[in-house]
Amino acid sequence: MKIKDTLIVLFIVGAMSLVANAIGTKYTIVEAIPGLLFLIFLAIAGVVLAKYLPGRIPAVAYIVTLGCILTYPTMPGSDVINEAVKKVGFLQLCTPILAYAGIAIGKDLDAFAKSGWRIVVVACVVFTGTYIGSAIIAQTILKALGQI
Amino acid sequence: MKNIKVHAIVLALIIIAEMIGNVSFKIGVGTIVLLPMLYALIMGIFMAPKFLKVVNQKDMLDASSLIGITLMLLMARYGTLVGPTLPKILAASPALILQEFGNLGTVFIGVPVAIYLGLKRETIGAAHSIAREPNVALIGERYGLDSAEGRGVMGVYIAGTVFGTIFFGVMASFAAAYLPFHPYALAMAAGVGSASMMTAAVGSLSVMYPQMADQIAAFGAASNMLSGLDGLYMCIWMALPLTEWLYKKIYRFKYGVEPTGKDAAK
Repeated sequence: MKIKDTLIVLFIVGAMSLVANAIGTKYTIVEAIPGLLFLIFLAIAGVVLAKYLPGRIPAVAYIVTLGCILTYPTMPGSDVINEAVKKVGFLQLCTPILAYAGIAIGKDLDAFAKSGWRIVVVACVVFTGTYIGSAIIAQTILKALGQI
Repeated sequence: MKNIKVHAIVLALIIIAEMIGNVSFKIGVGTIVLLPMLYALIMGIFMAPKFLKVVNQKDMLDASSLIGITLMLLMARYGTLVGPTLPKILAASPALILQEFGNLGTVFIGVPVAIYLGLKRETIGAAHSIAREPNVALIGERYGLDSAEGRGVMGVYIAGTVFGTIFFGVMASFAAAYLPFHPYALAMAAGVGSASMMTAAVGSLSVMYPQMADQIAAFGAASNMLSGLDGLYMCIWMALPLTEWLYKKIYRFKYGVEPTGKDAAK
């Protein structure tokens, strides 16, 4: 996809997130605009970096890293950015994504029905196993380090 | 992206989902939280030709092609969540790194259950990991996706896509309500290598513990990134060999003989 097209989609999804944000949080659309524009900037910067820098590193890696660096506590201007992005709720950003995902899942439903109930049981067990396994270790180490 | 119909449907779903808002209900001593993103997902699924017939095949493909870009805004937000708390995350890094080994928990529970349900080589694909994109790619490369192992990994992959988000959202609030874990430990565990599953788990936790919400989201995001980095290597060198080994043990335990023929490792 061309960078211009990506930018257009980002603005469309951004606008939807603003609506979700206005309904789901205490911030109005106008209050959330600066933070959202910054997020769109991060996203498009990541896409550009991934396209022109060598190493075939995915755009999301650049996006997260840039976001991290620019909001690191000692970074100049980080408090202004933090104040702005704080008004964009991350749960509200997810609502549009999962709406698109829900529509897209429709095409996998047949394959899902075919894969059988046994695999579904195994999937539930596998999800639970990885979650509880990781939680036990994290709990133990955080306790040992005295951080909780 | 020019499919106005899909965007319009999504906008309607978002408005309905956010108007409903968070719904939490008490079960026993704990609280289970349902989030707007879950309603948006479920309503989206019901738009399919199989149910309400609002969207057609092309709409579904268009929506599918947009998910990658829609995730970027969320990833940007995660970056800005991790940045301010980075000093705290670095202090917690031993816990963050070591909990990655918890992902091997899938093998120890998944393999016996799969074999006792009567699965054979499907077990290898289905139980070696939570079967996200890198794992599917790995199994595809090693066994081929049309093999028994491939059917196993694709089955869990599709199950994860269809109900993984809902499952993780509910499991996190269940674990927080009933199991003796600190919210930070549950947040770290949420980073399983899938942004949507992690977000669902972190979302439930942050609604239950609003005063820790930022830290919970930061731990979840950091752990998820780590899983993205090490997940594949861990799979190749640890989870997959462990799965093969355990498969042989449990197979002999259940059937009384060593796996042979098409049930044996190639």
